[in-house]
Amino acid sequence: MSSDHQEVSNDSVLDDLAPGLDRSLHRQYIRGIFVLWFIMTVLGVLAGLYLTPILMPHMNSPEGRAAVKTVIVFTVAAAPVAALVCAVALYSLLHTRHRGSLDHPPADGPPLRGNALASGVWLITSTLLVVFLLFWGLTEWSAQQVVHADSLTINVIGQQWIWDYNLPAQTVRLPGGRELKIPKELALSKLNLPVDVPVTFNVTSKDVTHGFWPVNLGIQVDANPGQRTVIRTVPDRLGKFVVRCSQLCGLNHAYMYTQAQVVPDQDFQAWVQGGARGPILAVASSQNGSTK
Amino acid sequence: MTATQPLLEDTVLGPKAGRLYRRQSFATGLGLGILLGAIGWFIAQNTIQSNENFGSDMTVAVTMAGWVIGFNIGIGTFNAVIRWMLGHDQDKDDELYAAGVGQGKARYWKYCTDHKVVGTQYLILVFILFFVGGTLAMMIRTQLLTPNSTFLSPQTYNAIVSIHGMCMIIATIIMVSGPFANFIMPIMIGAKDMAFPRLNAMSFWVVVSAVPPLLATFFVGGVNAGWTTYAPLSVQDGPAMICFAITIITFVVSVTVAGINTIVTVLTMRAEGMTFARMPIFVWASVIGGGLGLYAMPAFLLAMTMMVADKATGTSFFVADQGGSGWLWENVFWIMGHPEVYVILIPPVGALLEVMSTFSRKPVFAYKLAIGAMTGVAGLSIMVWAHHMFTTGWAPDLAGPFMLTTELISIPTGIIFLCAIGTLWRGSNWVRLPMYFGFLFLWNFIIGGVTGIYLSDVPADNYFHGNMFVTAHFHYTLLGGAMIAATAGLCYWFPKVTGRMLDEKIGKWAFWMIAIGFQVTYLAQFYEGFKGMPRRVANYDPLFAPENLISSLGAFLLMAGWVVLLYALVSSWRHGEIAPANPWSAKSLEWHTETPVPLENFLQDPKVINDPYGYGASGAEQVHAVFGHHSHHTIEEGVKQ
Repeated sequence: MSSDHQEVSNDSVLDDLAPGLDRSLHRQYIRGIFVLWFIMTVLGVLAGLYLTPILMPHMNSPEGRAAVKTVIVFTVAAAPVAALVCAVALYSLLHTRHRGSLDHPPADGPPLRGNALASGVWLITSTLLVVFLLFWGLTEWSAQQVVHADSLTINVIGQQWIWDYNLPAQTVRLPGGRELKIPKELALSKLNLPVDVPVTFNVTSKDVTHGFWPVNLGIQVDANPGQRTVIRTVPDRLGKFVVRCSQLCGLNHAYMYTQAQVVPDQDFQAWVQGGARGPILAVASSQNGSTK
Repeated sequence: MTATQPLLEDTVLGPKAGRLYRRQSFATGLGLGILLGAIGWFIAQNTIQSNENFGSDMTVAVTMAGWVIGFNIGIGTFNAVIRWMLGHDQDKDDELYAAGVGQGKARYWKYCTDHKVVGTQYLILVFILFFVGGTLAMMIRTQLLTPNSTFLSPQTYNAIVSIHGMCMIIATIIMVSGPFANFIMPIMIGAKDMAFPRLNAMSFWVVVSAVPPLLATFFVGGVNAGWTTYAPLSVQDGPAMICFAITIITFVVSVTVAGINTIVTVLTMRAEGMTFARMPIFVWASVIGGGLGLYAMPAFLLAMTMMVADKATGTSFFVADQGGSGWLWENVFWIMGHPEVYVILIPPVGALLEVMSTFSRKPVFAYKLAIGAMTGVAGLSIMVWAHHMFTTGWAPDLAGPFMLTTELISIPTGIIFLCAIGTLWRGSNWVRLPMYFGFLFLWNFIIGGVTGIYLSDVPADNYFHGNMFVTAHFHYTLLGGAMIAATAGLCYWFPKVTGRMLDEKIGKWAFWMIAIGFQVTYLAQFYEGFKGMPRRVANYDPLFAPENLISSLGAFLLMAGWVVLLYALVSSWRHGEIAPANPWSAKSLEWHTETPVPLENFLQDPKVINDPYGYGASGAEQVHAVFGHHSHHTIEEGVKQ
């Protein structure tokens, strides 16, 4: 009885979608599109899950890994919708394409002017997806707004076409009760960061707008003349990466980059104490992902 | 046959042939433009050049303004106004002359008020702009073949990147709203012409006058700052930036005039019975795109005027050490810049839905929802501009709200997809060349859309902003989406515009080259972005070498595809098979008048009785319009031909 009932309501939905269509033919269409949709959804989900980590470099901070995770989650979330569009298009190419002479138009299709159910489901689904995307984005974004009580302050100064780093004299208390001491102000041309120490970048520019982008930290902010912009992170993985300029800044924009690395905090301390002369103890390059 | 016939036979070149304004053409425009430009240069050189702060900028500004004004006087933009001021009104002969009657092909070189001539002129201009922009793109990709290429100097490279961008932006803004909203749209609504035919001609010739200053930038130092010309870098630029600004200011005048014209035409010129609910979806798209342009483009004019003031007169809107702010530029620019991408996108989407409907032999699915979706996209698009500024440091507190508005846009955009696949669903799917491009649009725009949601997310954008991922994303939406949809529209309306059938055999070769070349080019660029390669760099880390090589090779194939398509278009235009009036058995009005379309479009006035999507319907419901007093002359006869 109940299965009967199910059957009837199903058919009325089908009638609604395609009035006057042979029901078995209609089921065949739905089945065909469903199979294509399913295959492509699975492919999309797999691509999101397994391709993304291969395509993106190893990140050296939670923000960087959040970017990778977002790409994975959004790809998986978008896969069913994208797959449905592709499935309907592909099915109409593979199966309902007009064969025979293309010189004359085929017979008209059924006069389907819309369908409240299909539109409604589509609208609700896409709205829910958007709510999810927003929720995801805001959650991650707010998690990144945490300001650590104690952090290493680094002033970043962009100018055409170099990055300069200025390390003010400061003492940073580390979680283990230890302290990181910068005895006197240091002017540096390369960026070295102690691992697991919160860092605050105060970014500005001497001339035009630059984009301060320590690539594998997954954060960036513009260096604006006359303004100070702030970004924060906690580098939590050792490794080398590159700081690039992400805002077109004139003639030598392409060459505006510096090497950077995340090093053990004891090494950092020793290097600072020595006046930041010479190269810092190099970290194992096996950790550095795909940037050189 | 009736009233319009004598018009065609008028010998308007008779008694008044000697009048000055009848000798005006592109040549006189060119001559007077160069003359006034030279006079401007001479005056500026001798009066303000001595000012060492802004002399050369001011000289270039005066020269370019002289060119634009001179060209437009020469071509005849101000004729009617000047003649009114002198106390002469235009008589019938003048109007017929202005509409190009009896002038043969020469009318394409003149200030012609016939909307079909204007549409064709726009089409040719779009081809030229795309060819220039595409050639510049090939130079960019040649430079990027290898990491440390010296094919172009950094300065030349930046100049080429900037002008490639602006040239393509201008071309894509006018690629549908120019040719098809002018040629086809008035016929679709059963109008005899646009509401303001002279302004229509003006909108075209003003764009033409905007092109030489854009290309002149190469000869006065080049624009260094990209098409977004972020201040204060652009303030630092040489006089090329002034040329660039003159181009934009002039272009905005054109887009504004064209947008008003489109809207007023649809509001006032529709045929009897053409209610809003019966208008083809393309007409709606033209109105929405035109209206959005009216909102967006003035901000561009404003921004560029401030820029010229900063450079040439010493104000400091954008100069930080004098109290200005680069963030002001970024805001004003993107208040224009984001709606502008939908000014580009919406008209082609309208054209695409027409193509989908005609070749699926089905009505546009959820017609009213589609209109709502386009309106929703347009409305939301004016509230999303700061998603271009997530990483600028300006107002981090607004990241959330702008993430919200940006992601909301995917709801109406999704509905447009629903309308497209709903139209395909169970359609007969007559796969002719326009439909090839229709399917390619769906694929490209899905990828463009999904990658857009990554960029709308602030934490992800903090990685992707300013890198090649963004470049690939907007090429997927604007080139792979809008331009491919526009190409579908071009293949669809080609027989009506040119009177000849497009060679689909060559067209399909072009299609496959474009489709494959495009995917290779931009999928490789997505990969560059994932790996962290910044945009707009002349040289790059050898780390990114393989994917750049692949991207360049794909780009060469893509360009070759466009050239083959251009060959198909030009050769078919010249020697193609003569097209019947309605080769697609479509129902909208443009297919139910003669080809070539007569002056004032219809020999008998149409009376619209249904919307143009009566596919599969029975009886009178499948008829869009009846003509004149002969109620038996219906669309069905047209179908049988």
